[in-house]
Amino acid sequence: MDIEALEKQVVLMEDILSVETLQRTYGYYFDTRQFHKIVNLFSENTSFVEIESHGRFAGKEGVKRMFSFGGTTPKKNKGTAGVATVIMQLGGVVTVNPDGKTALGRWQTWLAESFPFGGRLGQYWLQGYYENEYIKEDETWLFSKLHWYTTFYTRFETGWMVQPLVGFLPRSEADHPPTAFFPYPSGYKYPYHFPHPITGAVFDPKEEAYDPMGM
Amino acid sequence: MSTLEQLQARIQRLEDIKSIEHLQRIYGYYWDYSEWEMIVDLFSDSAESVEIADHGVYKDKDGIRRFYIDLMKGGPDGHMRQGWLSINMQLQGVVTVNPDGRSAKGRWYGFMMEARPTMSIHEGELRQTWAHGIYENGYIKEDDKWKINKLHFFLNFRTPYEDGWLKTPVVGHHGPSLDVPPDAPPTTWHPYPAGYRFMPHFNHPLTEE
Repeated sequence: MDIEALEKQVVLMEDILSVETLQRTYGYYFDTRQFHKIVNLFSENTSFVEIESHGRFAGKEGVKRMFSFGGTTPKKNKGTAGVATVIMQLGGVVTVNPDGKTALGRWQTWLAESFPFGGRLGQYWLQGYYENEYIKEDETWLFSKLHWYTTFYTRFETGWMVQPLVGFLPRSEADHPPTAFFPYPSGYKYPYHFPHPITGAVFDPKEEAYDPMGM
Repeated sequence: MSTLEQLQARIQRLEDIKSIEHLQRIYGYYWDYSEWEMIVDLFSDSAESVEIADHGVYKDKDGIRRFYIDLMKGGPDGHMRQGWLSINMQLQGVVTVNPDGRSAKGRWYGFMMEARPTMSIHEGELRQTWAHGIYENGYIKEDDKWKINKLHFFLNFRTPYEDGWLKTPVVGHHGPSLDVPPDAPPTTWHPYPAGYRFMPHFNHPLTEE
């Protein structure tokens, strides 16, 4: 046991804590409609952001486009009457890569939302998983990729089994269509970045045969 | 000023807590996707037991396998039916590592959003349900890896989405399976509104009560 090994352990714990705080900060900024601040949680070296059925937005410039719906200045971010999100950032499993400069994280969100879908305010429950990537630049952890996969997006009045999806929200200004938009009851398994913590087995959803017709 | 060894012991404890938090959350992610084999592999080979809701106590690794594979999966070649959903959020962990650094306990909430049959785990009309309960789990460190040693989930409610926990506290529970019987009857089957208190493993942080 030497001081270098100890320092490595301390830095790893600090890194995990910083990434957890970053992810939760994202959620709190989202709730408070501070999208200009969210943009600045992303590295200049961001690969993409992809949320729900909006499509994939490439690079830091794509991040700005993605989050422009809330306005890009604090003044415009005041919000719209009746629109509210509670985007809980739960269940973090953060894996810092051996280089100590990059990390991966799986999270889930359980979301309570009021949103004018189709021009009329509705109340919604959503659930889904993140698989995100992070990068440490100048001692600060930032997002380098954010991908949110949606399991369901349902009305409070109906529920996920009766109505798994209220509708599509494609964004014409996206760079690519969504790559993983298969809501309930598709049976799709959004892959985990981490291997099995005991056996080390790597999960490959493509190995699983799935019958979408339930035959 | 602490010695290097003392500092090392302190950082080790933080690492242990974080590893156990990850282990429990990964359990939840595997549960969400009905990865029953991968769940069994999260348990130690010398694991004590699993007890969930009213299903009873399944003892040892063999019992744990019977619970997750024979009962939950419906057998080694079984599969969950079309539309089965059980999103099982693992929330608010309080993890206590024992002074030996080889064993630990953890209390967690499980909060679930589901679509599941109500005759049994595999039969009957699918209904959408909210469920909530509490875990009191035991963990063991073997070969530098934290594993689940004991899993105990007390179910507070499992209610149809349309009803809510006051109107219909529990749906779809009919006691231990006759086809895959447990080794012992359930020990904490007292859902709402029984008023049962599923006690925390930990002592009061100040008074040590």
